[in-house]
Amino acid sequence: MSSYLSLKGINKSYGDFVALDDVNLEIKKGEFVTFLGPSGSGKTTTLMIIAGFEKATRGEVEIEGLSLAGLDPQDRNIGIVFQNYALFPHKSAVENVYFPLQMRKVKRKEGMRRAEEMLELVGLKGFSHRHPKELSGGQQQRVALARALVFGPDLLLLDEPLGALDKNLREQMQIEIKRIQKKLGVTTIFVTHDQTEAMSMSDRIVIFSQGSIQQADAPLEIYHRPKTQFVADFIGESNLLAGKVVDAASGILSSPVLGDCTYSGDHQPAVENGQDVTIVLRPENLTISRDPIEGRMNGRMKIETIVNYGDNALVIGLSGGVPIRVRVLGADVVILSEGDECCFSWDEDAIFLVAE
Amino acid sequence: MNTLMRVIAYAVIIFIAAPLVIVVPMSLSTASSLQFPPPGYWLGYYASYFSDPGWLRPTWNSIVIASATTVLTMILVVPAAFALVRHKFWGKGVANLMLMMPMAVPHIVMAVGYYSVFGQMRLVHTHLGVILAHTCLSVPITFLVLSANLKGFDRTLERAARSLGASPLQTFGHVTLPILRPGLLISALFAFIQSFDETVVAIFISGRDAETLPRKMFDSIRQEADPVIAVISSLLFLIVAIALIAPHVVSALRGRFTTKGQEKALIAQ
Repeated sequence: MSSYLSLKGINKSYGDFVALDDVNLEIKKGEFVTFLGPSGSGKTTTLMIIAGFEKATRGEVEIEGLSLAGLDPQDRNIGIVFQNYALFPHKSAVENVYFPLQMRKVKRKEGMRRAEEMLELVGLKGFSHRHPKELSGGQQQRVALARALVFGPDLLLLDEPLGALDKNLREQMQIEIKRIQKKLGVTTIFVTHDQTEAMSMSDRIVIFSQGSIQQADAPLEIYHRPKTQFVADFIGESNLLAGKVVDAASGILSSPVLGDCTYSGDHQPAVENGQDVTIVLRPENLTISRDPIEGRMNGRMKIETIVNYGDNALVIGLSGGVPIRVRVLGADVVILSEGDECCFSWDEDAIFLVAE
Repeated sequence: MNTLMRVIAYAVIIFIAAPLVIVVPMSLSTASSLQFPPPGYWLGYYASYFSDPGWLRPTWNSIVIASATTVLTMILVVPAAFALVRHKFWGKGVANLMLMMPMAVPHIVMAVGYYSVFGQMRLVHTHLGVILAHTCLSVPITFLVLSANLKGFDRTLERAARSLGASPLQTFGHVTLPILRPGLLISALFAFIQSFDETVVAIFISGRDAETLPRKMFDSIRQEADPVIAVISSLLFLIVAIALIAPHVVSALRGRFTTKGQEKALIAQ
């Protein structure tokens, strides 16, 4: 993998508080990478260091092997879309988009033509002479995107750009951003705390927690093979259960809640006999039945709560004092009621181990 | 409750408007001193205001002093506001307090102070003396208006400009300054009005050479109650009224113009 952008051992501390702790990351040219994590996890700080607005206490940011240290934000050629769009209120849409070209000494006529073209690309043809306050949230978003792209940046940074939009518009903009990014092939870093957004848009997701990278992998890889307990818990819903490896070679473990059970050996982290592990069971991989199902592994639980979502429902039960979450189809939930005793079952390849 | 509110509202309006209702007719009066209601109407006192150097000179003095005060105040206040709003430094609290002091100290106390100190420095009866004193008095209100504007300024806009290739200086010129322009204009206007309107310090130190309009009016009303005072009051009121209405008229005209332009753009699509 030839890397385009490299973060090498980035540390950032404010006095005693460590905001970033040894962040290392390689990003390929044209890749769409999402920084995902709870607020305060360091994802925005990392973005601001790349952009040049914050200085790393230690470490280097490199594009194509050249260090960005010593370059002011205006000399980095990085396009940024800010959370609140940061459109210049005194300039019209097309003047906003022309601004970076103006700073690069592009002649007004030529620059305005390119700005108009870029507005057309983001679907804002005919709106170029409106001022930001005369545009809707989604339209302002598109102007901000056009402005960040018009000068052919080496890198596009998006700092939670969809946070202020309502759900429908957000989905529409996710598709739009993806389409435009693909068309221009610009290397992109997208910051969000919304995991569905991260899942649907990214080539790769980088999960931040408490100032360090937990895992950087393709979305499905992250979902199915979480490397740490934090990732397993943060991405999607999961049942995290304590367990101990009995026989690593033949894939047998024991757990206070699940009892002794087997797991498939593929794609599991390297573990040793007797090692303590966390067992990850996704709610959608569990099935509820009255009686144990042959050929699957079974546990028993007492149903505590049923949360209906229409097309599906979340059933939360207690097994040995530990809550178990099961996702069932809406049609199946009618036969269940709170207080029932029932079985929950899973396939051996539904188990993922996290060794920490 | 509703009726009571109405009554209070009308009382306030009458209280504010009454002087205007009295002053404007008096300026058109034929009486030889200030008198209400006027015995007859003519424009003679307007003519005498515009032809009497005894009135025109203080008017000119006031304009010069207020303009210079505005420029000097802005030179001091703009950097001060940026520093105090945007940066943390040792002694910031004291600096803030010092800037506000002239507002807390009664003008008469300041006037006595200026009279004795400027007397020794030979600044009494000079334009410069009045300008310096007025600048000191204008600083607090100008600083308050400007720093309020600056606090409301979204600094992400400056970051955006930097990321788009603007140097700090270009960012200031293309983004910060144009967005803050209304705030700057209003705070400058406050400085101008503060100086133009100031009477107490002017009476103490402006003397004959740098005599300002309010001082001349005060002297005049004490000696002869010349109806020209009513003329000046009416003219000042007219200027203020125009200044208040003009922006609305301009923006209404501009609004009509741009909506037409947008309609055309939409039709063209």
